[in-house]
Amino acid sequence: MKTIRVCCDTGCLASGSMKVAEEFERLSAGSGVRVECHVKRTGCNGFCEKGPLVTILPDDISYYQVKPSDVPEILEKTIGKGEAVERLLYRNDKGERVLRQQDNPFYAPQLKIALRNVGRIDPENVDDYLEEGGYQALKKALGMTPGEILDEMDVSGLRGRGGAGFPTGRKWRTAAGYDVFPKYVVCNGDEGDPGAFMDRSILEGDPHSVIEGMAICALAIGAEEGFLYIRDEYSLAVENFRAAIRVAEERGFIGDSVMGSGKKLHLSVVRGGGAFVCGESTALMQSIEGKVGEPRAKYIRSVQRGLWDHPTVLNNVETFANVPYIIMHGAAGYAAIGTEGSKGTKVFTLVGKVRRTGLVEVPMGVTLRQLIYDIGGGVQNGRPFKAVQTGGPSGGCIPESMMDLPVDFDTLKEYGAMMGSGGMIVMDDRSCMVEVARYYVDFLCGESCGKCTPCREGLKQMLAILEDICHGRGTMEDLDLLESLGETMKDSSLCALGQSAPNPVLTTLKYFRNEYEAHILEHRCPAGVCKELTSFYVDPDKCRGCSACVRACPVGAASGEPRSPHKIDPDKCISCGSCREACRFDAVLTKGKAVRKMKAGAGENSSGNGARDAAPGDGGFERGTAAVSNERGTAAGNENSTESGNGIGKAGFDAAMAEGRDGK
Amino acid sequence: MIIKINGIPCECEKGEFILQIARRNGIDIPTLCHHDAFAGQGSCRLCIVELVAGGRSRIVVSCVYPVDRECEIFTENERVRRQRGMILRLLEARAPESTEIRALCDKYGAPRFERFVRVDGEKCVMCGLCVKACAELSVGAISTVNRGVTKEIATPYHEPSSVCIGCGSCAHVCPTGAIEMSETRDSRRIWGKTFRLVRCSRCGAVIGTEEELAMAAERAGQEQDGLCNTCRQERIAEVFAQSYGV
Repeated sequence: MKTIRVCCDTGCLASGSMKVAEEFERLSAGSGVRVECHVKRTGCNGFCEKGPLVTILPDDISYYQVKPSDVPEILEKTIGKGEAVERLLYRNDKGERVLRQQDNPFYAPQLKIALRNVGRIDPENVDDYLEEGGYQALKKALGMTPGEILDEMDVSGLRGRGGAGFPTGRKWRTAAGYDVFPKYVVCNGDEGDPGAFMDRSILEGDPHSVIEGMAICALAIGAEEGFLYIRDEYSLAVENFRAAIRVAEERGFIGDSVMGSGKKLHLSVVRGGGAFVCGESTALMQSIEGKVGEPRAKYIRSVQRGLWDHPTVLNNVETFANVPYIIMHGAAGYAAIGTEGSKGTKVFTLVGKVRRTGLVEVPMGVTLRQLIYDIGGGVQNGRPFKAVQTGGPSGGCIPESMMDLPVDFDTLKEYGAMMGSGGMIVMDDRSCMVEVARYYVDFLCGESCGKCTPCREGLKQMLAILEDICHGRGTMEDLDLLESLGETMKDSSLCALGQSAPNPVLTTLKYFRNEYEAHILEHRCPAGVCKELTSFYVDPDKCRGCSACVRACPVGAASGEPRSPHKIDPDKCISCGSCREACRFDAVLTKGKAVRKMKAGAGENSSGNGARDAAPGDGGFERGTAAVSNERGTAAGNENSTESGNGIGKAGFDAAMAEGRDGK
Repeated sequence: MIIKINGIPCECEKGEFILQIARRNGIDIPTLCHHDAFAGQGSCRLCIVELVAGGRSRIVVSCVYPVDRECEIFTENERVRRQRGMILRLLEARAPESTEIRALCDKYGAPRFERFVRVDGEKCVMCGLCVKACAELSVGAISTVNRGVTKEIATPYHEPSSVCIGCGSCAHVCPTGAIEMSETRDSRRIWGKTFRLVRCSRCGAVIGTEEELAMAAERAGQEQDGLCNTCRQERIAEVFAQSYGV
């Protein structure tokens, strides 16, 4: 009997894995196959970029980017004869085709605990989970006293995987200490960091492990009711989890008598409406209560007064997924993995300009370099590494010089970044760090709850300043103001969202200050991203005249005869960067744009705020730049004279501005 | 229990809020979103103080921080001044029309930041007191709408509210006078809706809108007497005087 695992997680589904699974089911049911096999639709295997993924057991052969048309061949060769289909195997860095997942450099260094079943079992089939030892930990926990469970959690050293890293055992113990009933168990599945999807993969691929973790927590603290808050965008997760709760109740794993113990536990799913701030624990509880999702001051903790003012333990999906493993395999073994202060493993999402993107689980304490280079295979297209953004909007950008830092709860925090929930966005030399900071602040402007002044108003002012810098209207004093704003937001904001909101700005200011300075003093975006400050030109020595840029240019600004150096017409160019993306010879380069001369006196900062609010082109860009451009204009290497002034008319400027706006 | 605020020993109960203790002891802490009638919100952040306890120092908001052990509190040190000044200027940029905020900026010597984007014509500082007052005293006709920097206080869909009783509690508690309420002899206009005013049957003073009085009657479970507070007291005094023959 052979098993064909087809990854049917959101990522692979998007690449068409459902058709592949159906084709396997259809053809394997037919008479053509001599060996018996069954098709299993699993959760995420992690290597989403190369989906749909198919694994054949017991041969342990993994195929990548499988199409329905490949199915007959796989059935004939691999299922029928035990032979591999060479072209569907992964090619490692040496160019060799590898059969097994463990031989794939993406998987080899991984250690899966939270993801132990994800990608292996059919999430809709509880028997599959039971075969992997499912609900054994709950059974074991029922034979333990609450105190013994809490001791195990303490010994394991497990800390909250949502980002804050609060010791799970201590949290549970505090909640257990209150004699106020009912108590609640809440699982936070409101994953919202851009580029993070570890919780989704667990909810979709192994929902029962989360249920089991929550049940063990309920036993330890004495709760009889629990909620799982999932953001509604995760439709498959909501569906799989609801189905899992239903099955778990039907089979008596939870419900009126947890595994026949007489103890009650009822779980239900609450769908989040898509507010990022509802990932904050107190806002999440408000949302469950049916109120506006706004955080409250945490001077009285949720373990004392949480949901409906009752003791509540709230943990992240990944945290709960670790719990059954710890109870089953013993806390000491778990604590042996990881670093001094951060035990166990952590799931990361490796995305951005990295060669191998996907979901990985590694022991705490691996270095960023191991993550990005060994597992991720380095930066795409061999471009230089610039930074990795960790921890989402609450985290920061870490430069090359810090690549050998171990990734755990405490180390990155010392450097102003944080591991957070585990999102890792890799950036190359074509990522503008000012623009990255602007992006996160813009994101938070929309996602802050807007309750407290420093976060709501501070973000608004930060965004205005960063937009000005990206448009070449910034001043050096702006950098000091950004730091002051950051300090106030960090110190005085109501919740963790506001307190960590300035991190993307503060870390880029700290580690990439030269980029800010280039924008301000030289009117140049070193990465060639900020349109207002970038013009493109062709290096005639590197250009092979392949015309790729000509084909890519949407406005006909690139031109040239085949096999002779091409040119980009700066008057037509809209600085979209398509030519640079298309060029395989690195012949398209960037430089600063000619700075438009402003009206007299505009450089004295006299325009103040009035000008800032004015419509683009009405002088809104005046602030401070004229004086600077007179000094620095030539240093920026501008071809057009900075004195050209009104040569570029208002209409032209308006058009350029409109372009910039549309591009956002 | 004794805590120290700016070096002054202050007696207090465990669980009391710092703001409460400070004000009782005549120590000034500015607030916007605080009102003694309601539970603290901690939204304006103006009442921040520095708390030193157990060898750790941090900024907390005094209106909702319950004192649980001996500690030292500073309401006027450099760190507090710096943060409060920034918060005040952020509020000023948000509500440049508010004379109250400008006065606070002057009083607490907030440094100027010409750089800030200002919202022309705005007075509201989004403290949320109006929403709280409406929910707790009245009918919950207004709420916060949107989130992030676009958050505002409004009626549902910005339409005149079907449930608003025109009591004006929101306008009354607003610390910056941001809620427009206008009255003629017979009517009151607020949140885009006009209400008929009822006057005291004895002296003719305004006692509320028709809807407001209807709600009061419903809550009390009996018809109201149609008198203002003063006249009602007078009438009770008269009845009292008659029954005792004074």
